[in-house]
Amino acid sequence: MKTAQAGTLESMDCIVTVTETEKGRGISIAMEGASIVRFGEAMLKATKDTLKDLGVRDISVSIQDNGAGDLVLKARVEAAVRRFAGVRTP
Amino acid sequence: MTINAAGRNIPDTIPGYGEVRHFKGHDRRPPEGCRFGKRNRAAFNTRRDKTLPDLKAAISASGLKSGMTVSFHHHLRDGDYVVNAVIDACAEMGIRDLVIFPTALFKVHKHLTKHIQNGVIRQIMGSVNGPIGQLASEGGFSVPVVLRSHGGRPRAVTSGDVVIDVAFIAAPTADNYGNLTGAVGRSACGSLGYAHSDAHYAQCVVAVTDNLVNYPAPCIQIPQFFVDFVVPVDKIGDPAGIVSGTTRVTRDPMRLLIARNAAKLIEATPYFKDGISFQTGAGGISLAVAAYVREAMRERGIKGSFGLGGITEFFVDMMKEGLFERLLDVQSFDLAAVKSIAENPNHVEISADWYANPWNAGCAVNMLDTVVLGATEVDRDFNVNVNTEADGAMLHGIGGHQDTAAGAQLTIITTPLLRGRIPCAVDSVYTVSTPGEVVDAVVTEFGVAVNPRRQDLIDAAREAGDVPLVTMDELVEKAQELTGPMTPVETEDRIIGVVEYRDGTVIDVVKQLKKK
Repeated sequence: MKTAQAGTLESMDCIVTVTETEKGRGISIAMEGASIVRFGEAMLKATKDTLKDLGVRDISVSIQDNGAGDLVLKARVEAAVRRFAGVRTP
Repeated sequence: MTINAAGRNIPDTIPGYGEVRHFKGHDRRPPEGCRFGKRNRAAFNTRRDKTLPDLKAAISASGLKSGMTVSFHHHLRDGDYVVNAVIDACAEMGIRDLVIFPTALFKVHKHLTKHIQNGVIRQIMGSVNGPIGQLASEGGFSVPVVLRSHGGRPRAVTSGDVVIDVAFIAAPTADNYGNLTGAVGRSACGSLGYAHSDAHYAQCVVAVTDNLVNYPAPCIQIPQFFVDFVVPVDKIGDPAGIVSGTTRVTRDPMRLLIARNAAKLIEATPYFKDGISFQTGAGGISLAVAAYVREAMRERGIKGSFGLGGITEFFVDMMKEGLFERLLDVQSFDLAAVKSIAENPNHVEISADWYANPWNAGCAVNMLDTVVLGATEVDRDFNVNVNTEADGAMLHGIGGHQDTAAGAQLTIITTPLLRGRIPCAVDSVYTVSTPGEVVDAVVTEFGVAVNPRRQDLIDAAREAGDVPLVTMDELVEKAQELTGPMTPVETEDRIIGVVEYRDGTVIDVVKQLKKK
């Protein structure tokens, strides 16, 4: 199974892991971390928006959060997706 | 329901707690009643040995029965064996429905969970850290936990709000006639400050020791005439959990910046002069503030009068260097503090009553110039939360927060603006532990917000010129800008925690978390 990852577990960062899923299965997102109880909805929206902008329809996303803000989270999701697609990141 | 002086809507009675005295302001409740205390007793010279063979014999001799209240001190911290052993023995003897009244509980007391679940323990009055706090937050108790400060607790004891049936006092050294000390022994913990009111007021006092010495014991802190029975056991605790090693000053540049800002504020005030008295916690930022203040004291040739509270090696070194004349020690945090209290007559043990009780002829916090405290959150009104976490779980006690904040001339709260994504400066704190009216300044890495009530401090800070002043509203808005909006904590209506102010009024309540 193809996967790709971006991020770290430093404070205010997160590790985003994306894994391929069968076509038509849609997007599934799993999150863990202390801020999810208060920011879970915002994080879900940031992740979905980023995937939509990148045109991703079928993927499984796992987020290990250590307090990342939306900007960081979006960047990590985008980096993971681009690595997954084989785009070289600097 | 009544809206109290901290702006909280509190019911007039709370099931399992009773009638509520509402918080009306930090100095608004006049003291009531008298100190009487325990039943009189006589011991004649026909019984010159108070030792009993084991805990069960002592429990039986103490007259402890189901439904009674038992107390413990927390000087053995996370190394304590005594609380768990006593409750285990009670359970085996068929005693149930106990109210336990510790000065604090630690992770090691997770062991009590089964006794809570099977009804040996009905209620906890005292701080509930870690797993037991989580259990309480999720509704694991039939009656609410009652939180009191280090001064509020002896107030409740000496005024008779709480009657202790049996106090079990872990004693690092004891003789067979009940003289106790924490200063020496393999499980030495230094001061026994939190145990004094319990020894004075409990209907029966049982000392538990792993170092029984010849009469009379050395460095006596709690004298024989308060102690009914002495139980020798193998070990009262694990020394590794009782005293910490050296606590290091933080190296995190952001926390150092916060500490530097706090020190600049202290130096800018008129309190920074000969005779200054000082208290900080043992946490990373607090200790860094102490380090900066020490540097400034050396540079400007200032000699302080006393260091107060939980004493660490850092304060011991400052006294040795002549930067403090004396240490008033209610709790000795590390090995150096334990050693110092046993050897140095200027390192004085004080009781919690002496330290912080608002209902006596004057406690030590009233003589305090500056205190540096922490917070989980602060709000626009300078109210401080130290009890609940961002998810609404009640995981921390009040400690001396309310007492020192109310007593000190200059009360500084140090906190990062964010912990991860969680903002520490908010519109309104989830739980009010300490009211904003006794908080003078909030210090963050983004600047120092001085309470507008203290125009004198604002003027002093402006004059000094190097204190990065901001307003509390600016801090809150900065935090919101960085984190985005939070979804509220979801709770049930049921109250699982009652937060008393130090004068025995209810300042806030904590509700049960909604199941996910």
